[in-house]
Amino acid sequence: MSTPAALPERDRPWIIRTYAGHSSAKASNELYRSNLEKGQTGLSIAFDLPTQCGYDSDDPIARPEVGKVGVPINSLDDFHVLFDGIPLEKMNTSMTINGTAMWLLALYVALARERGEDESKLQGTTQNDLIKEYLARGTYIFPPEASMRLIAEMYEYCLEAIPKWNASNICSYHLQEAGATPVQELAFALANAISLLDLLKERGHFDDEQFERAVGRISFFVNAGIRFVEEMCKMRAFGELWDSYTADRFGVTEEKYRRFRYGVQVNSLGLTEAQPENNAWRIILESLGVTLSRNARCRALQLPAWNEAMSLPRPWDQQWSLRLQQILAYETDLLEYPDLFDGSPVVQAKVQELMDEATAEIETILGMGGVIPAIESGYMKTALVRSMSERMSAINSGDQIVVGLNKWTEGLPSPLTAGDDGGIFKVDDKAAEAIIAGLEHTRASRDTARAEAAIEALKAAARDGSSLMEPSIECALARVTTGEWAGALREVFGEYRPATGIEGQQLGLTGDRVEVLRERINTLAEQMGHRPRIVVGKPGLDGHSNGAEVIAVSARHVGFDVIYSGIRLSPDEIVQSAVEEGADVIGASVLSGSHIDLAKQILEGLREQDADEDIAVVVGGIIPPADATELEAMGIKRVFTPADYELMDIMESIVEILEAR
Amino acid sequence: MTLDAARALNKHAVSKLVSVFEDTRPQAAGQRAEILDALGPARSTVIGITGTPGAGKSSLVARLVPAMLAESDLSVAVLAVDPASHVSGGALLGDRTRTRFATGEKRAFFRSQSNAAELGGLAPTTFQVTRLLKRLFDVVIVETVGIGQSELDIRYLADHVYLVLQPLGGDEIQFLKAGIIEIPDSFILNKCDDPAANQSYYQLRSSLSLARPFDEEVPPIYRTSARTGEGVDEVATAMLAVQPRHSDAEREEYFFGRWVEDEWGATGRRYMAGRELLAGGFDAAQAQFGPGIVEWLGKVE
Repeated sequence: MSTPAALPERDRPWIIRTYAGHSSAKASNELYRSNLEKGQTGLSIAFDLPTQCGYDSDDPIARPEVGKVGVPINSLDDFHVLFDGIPLEKMNTSMTINGTAMWLLALYVALARERGEDESKLQGTTQNDLIKEYLARGTYIFPPEASMRLIAEMYEYCLEAIPKWNASNICSYHLQEAGATPVQELAFALANAISLLDLLKERGHFDDEQFERAVGRISFFVNAGIRFVEEMCKMRAFGELWDSYTADRFGVTEEKYRRFRYGVQVNSLGLTEAQPENNAWRIILESLGVTLSRNARCRALQLPAWNEAMSLPRPWDQQWSLRLQQILAYETDLLEYPDLFDGSPVVQAKVQELMDEATAEIETILGMGGVIPAIESGYMKTALVRSMSERMSAINSGDQIVVGLNKWTEGLPSPLTAGDDGGIFKVDDKAAEAIIAGLEHTRASRDTARAEAAIEALKAAARDGSSLMEPSIECALARVTTGEWAGALREVFGEYRPATGIEGQQLGLTGDRVEVLRERINTLAEQMGHRPRIVVGKPGLDGHSNGAEVIAVSARHVGFDVIYSGIRLSPDEIVQSAVEEGADVIGASVLSGSHIDLAKQILEGLREQDADEDIAVVVGGIIPPADATELEAMGIKRVFTPADYELMDIMESIVEILEAR
Repeated sequence: MTLDAARALNKHAVSKLVSVFEDTRPQAAGQRAEILDALGPARSTVIGITGTPGAGKSSLVARLVPAMLAESDLSVAVLAVDPASHVSGGALLGDRTRTRFATGEKRAFFRSQSNAAELGGLAPTTFQVTRLLKRLFDVVIVETVGIGQSELDIRYLADHVYLVLQPLGGDEIQFLKAGIIEIPDSFILNKCDDPAANQSYYQLRSSLSLARPFDEEVPPIYRTSARTGEGVDEVATAMLAVQPRHSDAEREEYFFGRWVEDEWGATGRRYMAGRELLAGGFDAAQAQFGPGIVEWLGKVE
């Protein structure tokens, strides 16, 4: 890694962000304005799942999720409210949006046009990385080919029209959350970026000079875990590998266009519900991995809150994380020095090792024809599910120490969780009604003919292969809704379901507990006349599937017949699977905070089919204690939270439910 | 009550009956006989779908069933078999992931089965369950684990066997010739959106005439793409037109033999030889087999 000749005296601090948005455009606007007053320097917008998956707030599948994990956006009217009083030209806005990224960018551009602001001055990022959606996060909509086309068209639009916009952000963040090792994180993210550039080149829209600039627009969104020394080395490896791939494969001559630009959200996977106050220290250490090395320092940082394993963070929790960044950037002397690690043989050796292993993996994927074939064949997904299963096995066996979780578990009660609200955030249920009223108002007051024509033009462009950007902006201006935009494209492109990655997976757990459980299941099979059957599924729109996948793999490991249908299932679909398959148990996983509504719908569905006595239901997710009590009162047989990390404990409780019948 | 609901294709009622036909406890045989008696004679055809893992069998079924429902008033049941773990005995029944039918559609029914770690492409209870489903649905589709071990099973179970292939290289077609190419009645070359498909089609055609000298004419080779839906309607039409090949008596005889072999091995075969065990029906024969053979063994000794 080359050291710039003349260093500024002090490095500029990274962009300090908190990932935020909830309930409604109005509430989120207030939150943003208050965060900006507190010294935050950019916006990072969280959208709710219906917006991310392309549904209007009043769609039946959307209803339980409205405003839960972010702000709902139905039309340009909501954007006017969301950015009220915030000057777009001056703001750096990062949007965590993927399946509907083009739509949200179109809304942002349309907002600037209606407000009379200069569109070309907009700056920010649409996350727009569908590869990691297929692998880990689950808010994809269209098949890979159509998704990649949308991404490419956004690059082609942005390069000249909004030159400071990052059309996409290649994410390795979610891969680590799904269990990726540092090598997998490096390899999968870089293979993803390389495949995207291959596509841009192949499409031939850019001349050589433009292509070089387009390479310079590729930015990354990276994770930082608790092994912060290795993470720091990983960041250096990212920089070096990107520099050499862009130079060698794509012939980029200008050094600045080869620079590895990245933002970070540090790891949430390692945060624990047990002794949650310890998470504050984990977050600090994880921040060091991406800030210590000046030559591999992040451009933007956002931190989770200490209580993420328990619920969505409250504003105070976010402020606490924000303060950590400010102390690191402004109180410490971190930014005063050149790179601290240049010339360290230990660091150099570690970086080299990561680079060698990652290069081999990148070449494997490129040999398959790039990331799309590696997604369609399930190759990458299978590798991630295996890593996650290995990680869980190591924590379960005690080989990997997690303080407060599998070691030093005795602790004093935390005063942090002793407040009236139990240290957790509750979304205002009433907010959804106001949002739906707003949506109805938009539909009733718009120029219907203009909206319909805009939708038709969008579909026509989707069919004839011309760029969808301008037709999308016209849709935005015409007050077309999020569900209508996505619905029109679903009609043309179809919907996609990727490989689940759990086939052929083995769990590393052995020993007496596993053997005893297998015996108990064999006994149950003899008594019941069939091997016990469990349907594992994720109802609702939340796509974070790794918990459900590990449960499915574990259940098979101990001898269940497992029906795993993946993500984004309606409660009706889960009920139908369980009924048709003659299942004994349904295991539903929900991380979006909609567990009460979804559990209610599953139980009602079973009752309607007269199957509630035959099929027991257990629920897992980030579920506060009060909600767990409510779920059990409703008829859910058992509730699992992140505190139930021992896979064999979970399996044992499910077996007990069956034995008790 | 359950029977009436099952006749009306109520999903929970059908599913409960299927469970009786999957039940491994001895007392279930009597229940099965009663249910079959009450339901009357079987009326439907059984379609076998077999093929290498990864050929896209499930995705194709996901396309075929809606096409069959759209084309006719008939009802379709699918039995999909997946392999079990030899270590734990548990199985991941994953075909359902790719085969999502509309919820509440009574004319379609989907059930997954584990092959219980046995070698064949079918589950030990697949034959049993088809006996039931043939009395409730118009068409029963059985999707096997893969190909290689026990093609005869699916040949006896199904009135027509379709082998699903993906575009292959020449070497792989040579390999196919060895054994399994003789079993299917029709071939489906899936993933035809793949550029290699065309060449594969002609290679397969020419291989077939060599490998199957017994055919009077080359068997049908359909070209489909589960991804784009190309060719699916044609296969659906063909499947709806399949006529029964085996009588139930022939099937019962074969699968009774298979059951005896699994449960009692060579001794069972010897006891079976020359005895008219199936005269009182399949279920009674199963129920009486244990006591019968034990008594016989006592005498032999």
